[in-house]
Amino acid sequence: MKISKLVLSFILSITLLTQTSWAQIASTEALFNQTETLSSKEKIIQFTARQDVAKILEQMDVDPKTIEERVAAMTDEEASKFAQEIDTLPAGSDALGSLIGAAVFVFVVLLITDILGLTKVFNFTRSVR
Amino acid sequence: MPALAALLILGGCGPKEPLLPSGDHIKVPFVAPRSDLCAATSIEMVSSYWQATAPYTPRLSQEELDARTLIPEKGGTLQIELMATARANGLIAYTLTPTFDALLRELEKQHPVIVLLNRSYAWYPLWHYAPVTGYNKKDQTILMHFSDRPHEAISIATFRRLWERSGNWGVVLLPPGYLPATATSKAFLHAAYDLEKTGMRDDAIVAYKSALKRWPKDINILFALANACYQAKQFAAAEKYYRELLSVEPAHPLALNNLADLLCHTGRQNEAMAIIKKAVSDDSKIQSIINATQKEITKGCTPQGKKRK
Repeated sequence: MKISKLVLSFILSITLLTQTSWAQIASTEALFNQTETLSSKEKIIQFTARQDVAKILEQMDVDPKTIEERVAAMTDEEASKFAQEIDTLPAGSDALGSLIGAAVFVFVVLLITDILGLTKVFNFTRSVR
Repeated sequence: MPALAALLILGGCGPKEPLLPSGDHIKVPFVAPRSDLCAATSIEMVSSYWQATAPYTPRLSQEELDARTLIPEKGGTLQIELMATARANGLIAYTLTPTFDALLRELEKQHPVIVLLNRSYAWYPLWHYAPVTGYNKKDQTILMHFSDRPHEAISIATFRRLWERSGNWGVVLLPPGYLPATATSKAFLHAAYDLEKTGMRDDAIVAYKSALKRWPKDINILFALANACYQAKQFAAAEKYYRELLSVEPAHPLALNNLADLLCHTGRQNEAMAIIKKAVSDDSKIQSIINATQKEITKGCTPQGKKRK
């Protein structure tokens, strides 16, 4: 399944419209970056980051209907970080599902460390500390 | 815990919200876990807390929170999307300084903090988000809605280990009129500007105004607020804040430029020209904006809203 052109053009339009419609004004962005306006090269990089995020979300089984709003909800910084670091960023979740595949050894080790208060994998353990 | 003791003594410089006594917990409603959706339930719990205690109405339904946060292949939620979704739900998302003291200071001000924990080790990470709802100094425990247990007491020693593994990542979600107890002006401004950038300008304006109450002479906050008002076509307010900024820093080139542009587009060409002539900058990019503005004023200004390229 491909990301629809409509989604991409929507993302492009919000990115470019918000940046260009006030050409004469120095943007608040200037407070956080050295440059007060974005060069067109930077704009393209940011747009590509959003495009990459949309593709990654699609590849990772995210419902295509929500991709547009998810990408739109991110700032440029967040979109770039997402696109560049997706493989290493932690994804918070619930532990037990992820443990089903774990070996018995891992299970036992984590049970003991739980009891010692070094970890907190199982909801039923109470630390001795 | 000398730091904690110091906080208990120094922490109460006239806060509006009552302080949380040690051992008590913030009245954050508990939401039962849904598979892999601890980010969504954490946002939901904190949102319903603010809905009950502040003028705030969540913008997203439970289904929308779920749909916007989960990445099925990752089996969880990234910090980026937790923050983005919290903003879309109408809250300001402020990442805390990664220290235990910062966490305690927020709790004392009755601000629940969502933390990212690794329940296991780096070699087999099990990441989990949960709202911290209190602490107990006497028992040395942290209280949090951990998975299926409301206000579970976890020893501070264990909590610190799990939290350290995420680099002590924690975020306070607040309605736009509220400020984090530990906020710095620059970091808070950034968080408020993130709201503006993601299409929530009205909320950002509320946040800038409350920041201005805490830091009345902060030129960066004044600049952001003036710009946001200008873009919202609140010309009188925008002019007032630009002028307030200029009373603190009369040579601020960006504020002079923007004020001149505003005057130009609201039919006050002469005043605009007088202002733009004061603007100078060493930065070539800023200077080129100033030149463009001056050129436009010379040409005669078009009323705001009719022409924008």
